[in-house]
Amino acid sequence: MKKVIMGNHAVSWGVRLARAEVIAAYPITPQTQIVEELAEMCAAGSLKARFIKVESEHSAMAACIGAAAAGARAFTATSAQGLALMHEMLHWAAGGRLPVVMADVNRAMAPGWTVWTDQNDSLSQRDTGWIQLYCESNQEVLDTTIQAFKLAEAVDLPVMIVLDAFFLSHTYEPVDIPDAADVDAFLPPRKARYKLDTKEPHSFGALAPPSVYMEMRLRQQEAMAEALKAARAIDEEWGQRFGRRYGLLERYRAEDAELLLVTSGTVTSTARYVVDQLRAKGEKVGLVKARMFRPFPTEDWRAALAGVPQVAVLDRNISPGHSGIFAEEIRAALYDLPENQRPAIHGYIVGLGGRDVRPETIIDCIDRTRAAAGARKGTEREDVWVGVKS
Amino acid sequence: MPDDRPNTDFVHGVPPIAVSSTTTMANRTGSWKYIRPIYQDKIAPCNAACPVGIDIEGVMNLLREGHLAEAQDLILRENPLPGVTGRLCERPCEGACNRVQFDEAVSIHAVERMLGDLETTPMAAPKPARAEQVAIVGSGPAGLACAWHLARLGYAVDLFESEAEAGGRLRREVPEYRLPRAVLNREINRIRALGVNLRTHTRVGVDVKWQELSAYDAVFLAGAPRRIKAIDLPGASEVHGVHTAHEFLRGGPGQPVDLLGRRVTVLGGGDAAVDAARCAVRHGGRVTIVHDGPHDSLRGHADAVKEAIREGVRFVFDAAPLAARTSDDPPDDWEGRLDPADVIQGDGYGVRARLVGVEFTRSAPGSTGAAGMTAPAGERFFQPADVLIDARPVPADLDALPSEIARVGGVLAVDAFGRTSRESWFAGGDAAGEGGTVAEALGSGKRAAIGIDRHLRARAGEEVPELDAKALRYGGTGNMSMTRWRGDDPVFRTNELNEVVTFEMLNMAHFARVEAHEDRHLDPDHRGFGWAETNLGLSTEEGLAEAARCFNCGVCNMCELCMIFCPDVAIKRQAQGFSLSYKYCKGCGVCVEECPRGAMSMTREGL
Repeated sequence: MKKVIMGNHAVSWGVRLARAEVIAAYPITPQTQIVEELAEMCAAGSLKARFIKVESEHSAMAACIGAAAAGARAFTATSAQGLALMHEMLHWAAGGRLPVVMADVNRAMAPGWTVWTDQNDSLSQRDTGWIQLYCESNQEVLDTTIQAFKLAEAVDLPVMIVLDAFFLSHTYEPVDIPDAADVDAFLPPRKARYKLDTKEPHSFGALAPPSVYMEMRLRQQEAMAEALKAARAIDEEWGQRFGRRYGLLERYRAEDAELLLVTSGTVTSTARYVVDQLRAKGEKVGLVKARMFRPFPTEDWRAALAGVPQVAVLDRNISPGHSGIFAEEIRAALYDLPENQRPAIHGYIVGLGGRDVRPETIIDCIDRTRAAAGARKGTEREDVWVGVKS
Repeated sequence: MPDDRPNTDFVHGVPPIAVSSTTTMANRTGSWKYIRPIYQDKIAPCNAACPVGIDIEGVMNLLREGHLAEAQDLILRENPLPGVTGRLCERPCEGACNRVQFDEAVSIHAVERMLGDLETTPMAAPKPARAEQVAIVGSGPAGLACAWHLARLGYAVDLFESEAEAGGRLRREVPEYRLPRAVLNREINRIRALGVNLRTHTRVGVDVKWQELSAYDAVFLAGAPRRIKAIDLPGASEVHGVHTAHEFLRGGPGQPVDLLGRRVTVLGGGDAAVDAARCAVRHGGRVTIVHDGPHDSLRGHADAVKEAIREGVRFVFDAAPLAARTSDDPPDDWEGRLDPADVIQGDGYGVRARLVGVEFTRSAPGSTGAAGMTAPAGERFFQPADVLIDARPVPADLDALPSEIARVGGVLAVDAFGRTSRESWFAGGDAAGEGGTVAEALGSGKRAAIGIDRHLRARAGEEVPELDAKALRYGGTGNMSMTRWRGDDPVFRTNELNEVVTFEMLNMAHFARVEAHEDRHLDPDHRGFGWAETNLGLSTEEGLAEAARCFNCGVCNMCELCMIFCPDVAIKRQAQGFSLSYKYCKGCGVCVEECPRGAMSMTREGL
C-alpha cells in the first residue's frame, strides 16, 4: 500500500508494523509527531502496545529499559536535548544488552536555541554502545525502523534510527507500506533469552567486579562485530522480501570516479543530483552514502574508497577542537592502506543548525577539493567550513 | 537468529547480558551503612492534646480497618463517656491535629460521638474482684470516670450523689438539646453495669457523715456544689424577672417558663451564658448575651456559640453591668411600657418591682453597643430587658468538704495522681479545680484511679510500678493512659518513643486532600422552641470515612510503603509490623523518608 506520509509518520508506521509492545516517550520538537501518531494507533487499537507517558526523556529510556528487560519489544523517540538527557540511560540499555529501538530526529544542540537539523545530537552518543543507522528518505526510514528491531534482537544491542529534522521528519513523500503479514514473517515476536521473571528471579545490571567487567565489555564489542554481519544479512533478507536494499553504505555512480563525495542523511539526495549533473558533463565524480555509523563498517569503507584519489567528506556535524566526525572516522579507517591506495580526505563542515546545503554548496566543496588536490596529499589537513559568512 | 541460539551461552566466562547467575544474597550491602533505620512508633499530637488521655490515633486506625467494636473498646478503656465528650468536649485534639496544616483537622469529636452512640459490645473483662472498697463523692464526670476505672480494676465502688440521678453538672446544667438525657443515661448505665453502687439522694456530710467514709480503703472527692448566692448586681435583689443561670438551667425543658416575646439579657461569656441564652430562645425570648470581655474571650463551646447565633441570639461585648433598673427606679429616659398581660396574669408585679433593663458601662472602646453604634470606653448605656439571667462564673463551694484537707487557691490541693494531704483521700473534678471542662474532669478521675490503684496495691503488699507521671502521659505532657498503667495495651507498638510527631515528620506525598465530614445540624428554621438535639452528628458510614482521613501520625499502620521503596528488599512484612534485615539494609534512609507517618527513625550505626 502506497501512502504519502511525513518522515515522522514513517517511523510510526514502522513501529506499528514491528508490533512494538511498549512505547514510552516524552514530547520534543521535531520528534513529537512520531509518538503522537503512535499514541493514536494505541488508542485506536491498531497497535496493541502499552503507551507510557513519562516526565522526562531519562524516564522514557528507563521505562524502555524496564520493558525490554521484561522481554517486551520497546520503542521511544527523541531529539537533541532530550537525547542528551537520556545519556546515562543509553549506557544502561547498551551495557545491559537490551534491544531497545529509538528514533532520533537529528536536531542541533542548544544554545543558541534551535530546532533545526544537524547530527551533533546523535553523534555525541557515539560511545554509548548503540547501533546507529542514518536515513535518507521516508521509505528508508520505514524500512530501517522495521529492520532495526530485527537487528537489535539478533545481537541484543539497542538501535538508534536517525533522520534529519524537517527535511525528513516533516516532509511528505510517497512510501510503500508493506503488508503486516509480510512484516510478521520477516520479524517474529521477540524471544528474550534473559528476562525479568518473578518465577525465576535474576538481577539485571547488578554489581560487576573487575574480575568480570572487562569480559562483559569484550562481549559487547564482539556483539558489535556480529551486528555488522547481522545488519548485512537482515538488509539482504529485506531486499528479497520487499525488493529494497540499502547496504551498510551505498556507492552511487562511484565506478572509475576520481572524486568521491561522502554524505549522510538528506544531504545525500542533493549530492545525487549534483553527481548526476557532473556525470552528464563527463566529470568522474561519484558518491558514497554512509548509512551505518556504529558499528563502523571499516572494511566496506576501505573497499569503497581505496584507490580513489580525492574524497570530499561532507559533515553536518563538528567535533569541536578536532574535525567533522565522519571525516575523522574515515581517515582513521583508511590510515593503514598502502600509500598508493590511500585517498586524500578533504573534510567540509556544512549545514550546521539547519542551514541549507544546496547544490551550489556541494559544487563549492568539489571545487575546493580539486584546487587542493594539486597541493599536499594527505589526511591531516583541517576541515573547511563551507557556506559561512567571511 | 535469536530462536536458534542456545540458552546458556557463557563466553569469556560471562553471560551475554548483565544478568546475575546466582542470588544477590552474597552481596551484603548492609556492611556499607553507618546509620540505620528503625521502626519506632511515636505519639500522635491528638493523643497528647486530649485532656481525657484517649488513644485517638489508635481508635482511628482500628476504624480505618473497619473494627468498630475494637475501636469502641479502645476508647472506653480511657473514657467512659464518649457519647458525652463527643458532644461537649472543646476538642483540643482537633486543634493539635497535624491534618490542620494539610487541609482540615480530622473531625475527631464526630467519630467519638458515633462510637459512643453505638450499642456497647462486650469488652475486655474487668480484672478479678478485689477486697478493697472505695467511696467516690460526686457523680459528675470526674466521679464517674474514677468509678469506671476502679471498677474495671476490680474494686468495689460506692458512688455518692446528692441528687436524684447521677451525672452532676452534666445533668443539672447541660441542656437537653446539647446532651440528650438518653445518651447520658446510657453511658451511666454502662458504668453501673460494672457493679458500681450508685447511692443517690445521699448528701455526704449530712445523710452520711464524713467520718463514716474513713471505713473505706480510699476516698475520691470529685464534686463540689456551686457557691450560689444572691445575684451580685445593685438593684437586682428581690426583683421580678431576675434569675441565676444555675436555677434557670436546672429547670430544663420542663420548667414552666413563658418568655414569649420577652427581652432577655444574659450576663456572662461561658457555657452557662450560652446555654441559658439558647434555653431562653426555646422559651420564646428575644435574647442578648452581654459579655464583659472581647469576642475572643468567650469561653462557651465554639459550636454552641455558632448555634446560638444561628438561633438569633445577639452578642454585646466589652460591657460590664452597673445596675439593674426596675419599674420602681427606671432610667430617666425610660418611657415605661407595662405589658397589660403581665398584670392580668397577676404573677407578682403587685408585690415586687419589675425589671425594666440593665445599665452597662463600656470596658473597651469601639465595640458595637445596643444601639448599634461605636462608643468610647467608660460610656454608659441602658439595655432594656424584661428578664435578666446572671450566668457569670460561680466558684465551687468547698465549705462542706472536710476542713483538715489542705487547700490551694480555693480548691483542694492535689498532686499529679490526685493525692490530697490526707492519707488515702484523693480529689479531682470541681473539688480540685479540675472540672473546667468535661474532658478535664474525666482526666482527673482517671489520674486519681491510677493513684488509688497503686496506693491500695502497695498497701496490700503487692509489687507495683513506680508512679512515673511523665511516662504515663501521652507525649510526656498529655493526660495519663490507663492502658499504659495497666500494661494491657491491645495495640501492637514497636519500640515506642513517647514523643509527639510534628507535621514536618510526615510525608504529604502519600496523602490526598479530602474535606472533613461536617456534623449535620437541624435547620434553625425547623427547631421551633423544641428541645431536640440540634447537632445530628455523623452516620456510622460517615464516621468510618472520617476516621480514614487520619494520618495515623507516628504509628505504623502496615501501609507497606517502606517495604515497597526499599531498594535492597531488606524489609519483610510480619504478622505484626515488619522485619528489617540489617545484613542488606545499606542505610539509605529511603524507608524513613517515605514513611508517610513518621513511624520510622534513623539512628547511628552501633548505637
